[in-house]
Amino acid sequence: MLTASSRRATRCLGQTLRGVTTAATIFPNEPSVPTVNTFPGPKSKQELASLARVYDTTTAYFLTDYYQSVGNYIADVDGNKFLDVYSQIASIPLGYSNPKLAELARSPQMVNAIVNRPALGVFPSTDYYEILSQGLLSAAPPGMDQIWTTLSGSDANECAFKAAFMHQAARKRGDASFTAEELSSVMLNQTPGAPVSTILSFSKGFHGRLFGSLSTTRSKEIHKLDIPAFDWPVAPFPQLRYPLEEFISENRAEEQRCILELTQIFETYPKDIAAVIVEPIQAEGGDNHASAWFFQQVRTLTKKYNVLMIVDEVQTGLGTGKFWAHEHWNLDMPPDMVTFSKKVQAAGFFYSGKIGRTKEGYRQFNTWCGDPSKALLAKGIIEQIKDYDLLARAAVTGRNLYDSLAEISVRFPQVSNLRGKNRATFLAFDLPSGKERDAFLVKCRHAGVNAGGSGARAVRLRPGLWFEGKHAEVMLAVFEGVLKDMYK
Amino acid sequence: MTVSEQYFPQEPTAPKVVTSTIPGPESQRKIKELGQVFDERHAYFVADYTKSTGNYIVDVDGNVLLDVYAQIASIPLGYNNPALREVAKSDRMIRAIIDRPAQGNFPGADLAEIAGDVLKAAPKGQKFLWSGLCGADANELAFKAAFMYYQSQKRGYNAEFSKDEQTSVMANEAPGAPELAILSFENAFHGRLFASASVTRSKPIHKLDLPAFKWPKAQFPAYQYPLGDHEDANKKEDARCLAIVEDIFQNWHAPIAGVIIEPIQSEGGDNHASASFFQGLRDITLKYKSLLIIDEVQTGVGATGAFWGHEKFNLSPAADIVTFSKKFQSAGYFYNNPQITPNQPYRQFNTWCGDPARMILAGAIAKEIVKNDLVRKTSDVGDYLYAELAKLAAKYPKDMQNLRGEKCATFIAWTLESGAKRNQFLADMKMAGVNIGGCAEASVRLRPTLTFEEKHADILVKAIDAVLSKK
Ligand SMILES: Cc1ncc(COP(=O)(O)O)c(C=O)c1O
Ligand SMILES: Cc1ncc(COP(=O)(O)O)c(C=O)c1O
Repeated sequence: MLTASSRRATRCLGQTLRGVTTAATIFPNEPSVPTVNTFPGPKSKQELASLARVYDTTTAYFLTDYYQSVGNYIADVDGNKFLDVYSQIASIPLGYSNPKLAELARSPQMVNAIVNRPALGVFPSTDYYEILSQGLLSAAPPGMDQIWTTLSGSDANECAFKAAFMHQAARKRGDASFTAEELSSVMLNQTPGAPVSTILSFSKGFHGRLFGSLSTTRSKEIHKLDIPAFDWPVAPFPQLRYPLEEFISENRAEEQRCILELTQIFETYPKDIAAVIVEPIQAEGGDNHASAWFFQQVRTLTKKYNVLMIVDEVQTGLGTGKFWAHEHWNLDMPPDMVTFSKKVQAAGFFYSGKIGRTKEGYRQFNTWCGDPSKALLAKGIIEQIKDYDLLARAAVTGRNLYDSLAEISVRFPQVSNLRGKNRATFLAFDLPSGKERDAFLVKCRHAGVNAGGSGARAVRLRPGLWFEGKHAEVMLAVFEGVLKDMYK
Repeated sequence: MTVSEQYFPQEPTAPKVVTSTIPGPESQRKIKELGQVFDERHAYFVADYTKSTGNYIVDVDGNVLLDVYAQIASIPLGYNNPALREVAKSDRMIRAIIDRPAQGNFPGADLAEIAGDVLKAAPKGQKFLWSGLCGADANELAFKAAFMYYQSQKRGYNAEFSKDEQTSVMANEAPGAPELAILSFENAFHGRLFASASVTRSKPIHKLDLPAFKWPKAQFPAYQYPLGDHEDANKKEDARCLAIVEDIFQNWHAPIAGVIIEPIQSEGGDNHASASFFQGLRDITLKYKSLLIIDEVQTGVGATGAFWGHEKFNLSPAADIVTFSKKFQSAGYFYNNPQITPNQPYRQFNTWCGDPARMILAGAIAKEIVKNDLVRKTSDVGDYLYAELAKLAAKYPKDMQNLRGEKCATFIAWTLESGAKRNQFLADMKMAGVNIGGCAEASVRLRPTLTFEEKHADILVKAIDAVLSKK
């Protein structure tokens, strides 16, 4: 059953897409609707049980058949096919079995990158400059022209923290070299060589799960329990009311409160704060938004207090209708570092000037310093996005989808706090409780849609960039059906 | 035909140096170009991997160097190994590259087989696998496992978290974020993220300006060489170091959840310790219910005469956790106690939970090693090479001090008189056609691939002789 709004969404999209390559051209074998026979199916259950003998499978939803997954549809080993709006925790950018990426994966350049993995810091490959400059750097955020490559979101953030700590220490040290005391104390993990310096993050922020990044993660207890952490400061992140345009003055007051607290921390916190890390939209924490004004204030304050500003675009990157979500803020001064991973497939951070470069060598360093096979994939992803104008198209799809969801939330008041307007398909809404949210997600899976949750009670949408009006329509129909089942 | 001849019929028979400096002019130009966007200042030269074959690395100036450094000890089977190239072109690999799964949530149907192939190479006594992305990551994941295990033993594996734990942890405070420690050893190297850098004790430059956990360090035995002449002294050194470990366990202000140690300290200077030292350490960890984590990132995968460096110690019981990366191309850890798997989902977790593309490669590497008996062959080549180097060490006693790695296959190192002399030696060796690496302040380490054979050893030995004789 189509809702009026989803029909409208399709019509609009049909117009913008006339004469343009669509998902149907790229993925001729993409299913047009989900198929669910038995779920969870017997094969999935049985094979997961045998995998569990050697590999922890307690977080597995089902056993996936990637060979049968096409475009926006993910298949399991029992032949079920789900419309996937979760996309490997927001990390598949251009659908499954993307033929152009497959072609790239078969190219001699990729084979070379896979079998001859270089230690990029010491023996860089002859094509690495071209891969970076024509790929990742062609999509660099405004004001940034340099890059450091890593392997995941967590280590991208941690390498940015390292850059921040080293940069701040160098700023204070000036032209002087390390003191004898620094050189000896650091080997004992003691000050001054291992300084008491900190990274400030925001409540409900998520920045990864290694020890430095986990110390800045403030999402849920289960992410952090039993792991020693650095005693680093946390500032409140605005808790806004949605739709944003209906609560402008309340929300501004809340943001002002948070900015005031942040100022207080900068003024009074007893330890050095080397950097602030912030997500443009707090994703794991529940899709919490803040206005451009808030982020502009953070930028102004960090400049004022000589604190670096790291924007964590691991989940928002490529997802909000622009390459980088912080481009929506119109900052006067760019952030100091922008980290990425997930949909980019490669990980690392962008920066400008000297921030990512220490005076002495072998400080930001490790064996591989990234992975050229992933940087090459990122280049292919960015090219495809540009070739088909996929960011602008996702913005249109997202706008229509937002309208349709808004309409649903009128009919189902249990669907509340719809958010992500003008952020393409980076949308989320709340259900009354975590339990109901979890039930909703399970029922959606049974009805053929694989969606994800975040925060305490949010449903988040993280489709790829070949997600179009027709897919939105399928998803909306399933959502309506499940909501009816739950609430009518 | 030898294995390297089978793999690499086109492998050069000798190095060729065509420029008067390395980096040559084209390398210099390319380093500068890359330097506009990427911190390139550690680059020795720019390589053309499409032209590199077997044990020879080719740079963009056309220099052809015998490579005994192998991407900081991380190329297992030579450049452009044909068996690995086949795997790289397989459907399974293409799929792994373009549809990279979040393996924790949506494992692929072939993960059991892929993980199974990796586990075929697991150290004796290890049953389970968790996958990461690099050495530092593998070690930190192992630390997380150790901390969660330690607390779960205290609390009861299935017990609930207390209210107090749940609130304090969000402020990064105890008891939820407990003060627990990992013990490591002087001169150890375990990586450069925050926890791994906290246990790294190699050089100040690896650690300076980074906040660190206040964790204890013990001393790693410093032996007198040749070992045969100093058995008693070295035994005493073992006992001294073990006593320090025991003392830390008794007196450190926080519980020690795990001990991490390399079978041979690599970045720290190729420092060896005896099997009885390692067994002594195993005994202490058991006594204090702390996990023993063996860092096989650099020693693993065949270069020391066993598939895993610590297998020669015959530890009883087996180590609790063994971490790997580098030559395995995939990273992660093996373990054997099911309770090292956290009691609840989403505790040991992240977006990708490893990378099947790299795991597929690891499985293929292990298979080739077994098929071609490369652990034994590398061990034989190592014995041959060590004997030749021992002769050179007698000829150049100042430039080849403390030759070490006898009966450790090609995992061989020695020390020069000073850091400056060592660096000069490494540079001269490049001009003599050999790409070779250093470690610690003044040492040289050999880290060739497992396709390094006697003919390559002869070229290496000749080059060393030529360089040292000119001084
Ligand atoms: C905003 C953000 N930062 C960092 C991370 C950590 O990334 P990874 O799981 O690749 O370590 C995530 C993962 O969800 C994220 O959403
Ligand atoms: C023993 C050991 N552990 C850990 C590491 C860190 O590995 P990576 O550089 O991949 O983070 C290294 C790297 O040299 C190592 O030699």
